[in-house]
Amino acid sequence: MPKARLIDTSKCMACRGCQVACKQWNELPAESTEQLGTYENPPELSAHTWIRVEFRERPGEWLFRAHTCMHCTDASCEKVCPTGAISHQGEVVIIDQKTCIGCGYCVEACPFHVVHKDEVDGTSRKCRFCIDRITNGIEPACAKTCPTGAIQFGERADLIDMGIRKAQKLRADGFPNTNFYGEDEMGGLHTLYVLTERPSVYGLPEAPELATSAALTKWLIGLVTAGVVAAVPLWLVFRRKKQLREEQQSKVEGGVK
Amino acid sequence: MAWSAPIYVYLWLAGMAGGAYFAAFIADRFTGGGNRQLFRLATYLGIPMAVIGVILLIVDLGKPIRFWHLLTEFNVSSPMSMGTWILFAWVLIAVVLAVIWWSERFFDKGMPRNLQRLTSFLGGINVIFAVLLMTYTGVLLAVSNQSLWAGSVLLPSLFVASAISTGIAILIVGAMITNASTEVRLALNQCSRASDWTISNRTIVRLAEADAGVIVIELLALVGYAVWLANSSMAGASEGLSILLNGSLAAPFWIGVVLLALLIPLWLDIANWGKQIGSNKRVAMVIASSSLCVVIGGLILRAVITIGGQS
Repeated sequence: MPKARLIDTSKCMACRGCQVACKQWNELPAESTEQLGTYENPPELSAHTWIRVEFRERPGEWLFRAHTCMHCTDASCEKVCPTGAISHQGEVVIIDQKTCIGCGYCVEACPFHVVHKDEVDGTSRKCRFCIDRITNGIEPACAKTCPTGAIQFGERADLIDMGIRKAQKLRADGFPNTNFYGEDEMGGLHTLYVLTERPSVYGLPEAPELATSAALTKWLIGLVTAGVVAAVPLWLVFRRKKQLREEQQSKVEGGVK
Repeated sequence: MAWSAPIYVYLWLAGMAGGAYFAAFIADRFTGGGNRQLFRLATYLGIPMAVIGVILLIVDLGKPIRFWHLLTEFNVSSPMSMGTWILFAWVLIAVVLAVIWWSERFFDKGMPRNLQRLTSFLGGINVIFAVLLMTYTGVLLAVSNQSLWAGSVLLPSLFVASAISTGIAILIVGAMITNASTEVRLALNQCSRASDWTISNRTIVRLAEADAGVIVIELLALVGYAVWLANSSMAGASEGLSILLNGSLAAPFWIGVVLLALLIPLWLDIANWGKQIGSNKRVAMVIASSSLCVVIGGLILRAVITIGGQS
């Protein structure tokens, strides 16, 4: 049975313990950062920051969401990787650092802007869902450390049930826009969310799309433009009949002279 | 920004190589072999452009030494993987053609019939790869999650039209340089002795006329691309478009793309319409300026879209 994690934004208090635990377990280095005016820090996910609490201020309240890899069932990064470096190991989408050539295509393809290229090493990096822990029956570091239970790890089916029920409860309790995110997006995410606002308010795409979803159409439109449309002016100018006619004409003109 | 200058220069070069080959192929075949030198010139121009492009790509990788991993994988869903193989095939066939043309000198009675058939066949196959190559430069960006690239299915259309337009323009520039320089003609004669390596003024004028037509198509593709983006349901599509129209990239977009790549060359070509290059140097000057505008404008188009998509 596939595992997943459920991130309940209504429980998150932005302590950023998940960020610290992730850095510790994965031995990720510290990064230079900048003061954004809040405790939100560092400014964005990077090759060395695989989970990060995003802050959104609204009149009278703060919205917090831990942003990390969704481990999509249909993963754009995996689809576009030209060397096969990105693959699924069970539910985990993982980048093989020894096969990655650092082309950056996964960075451009991820609908959640999760994958980042390490400028020093050159390869792409992101959350590995603590694959070394979960394959040994231990929950990921972020879930283990979360003091409020905002990040929970477990069977995906159970977490979906739990998340849908929690969203219903919150809607009834005065958070009318609460929704459950991740059940069907990208074929099913393995990072699920209870969001107290619309996904776009939390910086998530309302309808994320696989980068390759319209690939065939895009190829065909390009091929038709070249082979059919743009060939027309060339054909009009260079078709044989026209040339023969012009040559005959110039011969006649030459004869007159 | 994961993709910067080496990528858009590469997209521009690869598109131009494919476009020049495509245009010269049509010019040659539709006239029953009447533009053989032009076709060979396009191949000789295309090979170094494609190879320089590939070198830029490899240097831009995070792990350049591992570039060969691209050649151990064939992933239909990854435009980059497909592009690698398309580029590989196009360059390989173009080099084989160049070697056959070079070897003509060893046949006293002309090329044997079988070899002629082979070059004709390879030339035809490679025009398919040229079309795929041009298309791939657009699809590479369009298959992503950056709204400016993926939000409109007409991006490949725009890039293909630009590739053919810049391809024709670089052919015109190449033909004019060939005609003007004895050294270039001698060098080309070392590559292939088949002809006297002067490209007729009539062919150059025709190329300019064809480019005007392709520019009109490119203009329509650009308008269609923008309208599609403005109405796209993809998050950030209209914001992406406004970066080009009135945002941080508005100046290079309006001056470099709309004016330099499209309207100025179109206006010059129309002003020149029906005139032949003769003793009047002005006609040749106008065609050359128009072509240079197209080539530089094509680079700016690739740059603006590549940078804009990531900002």
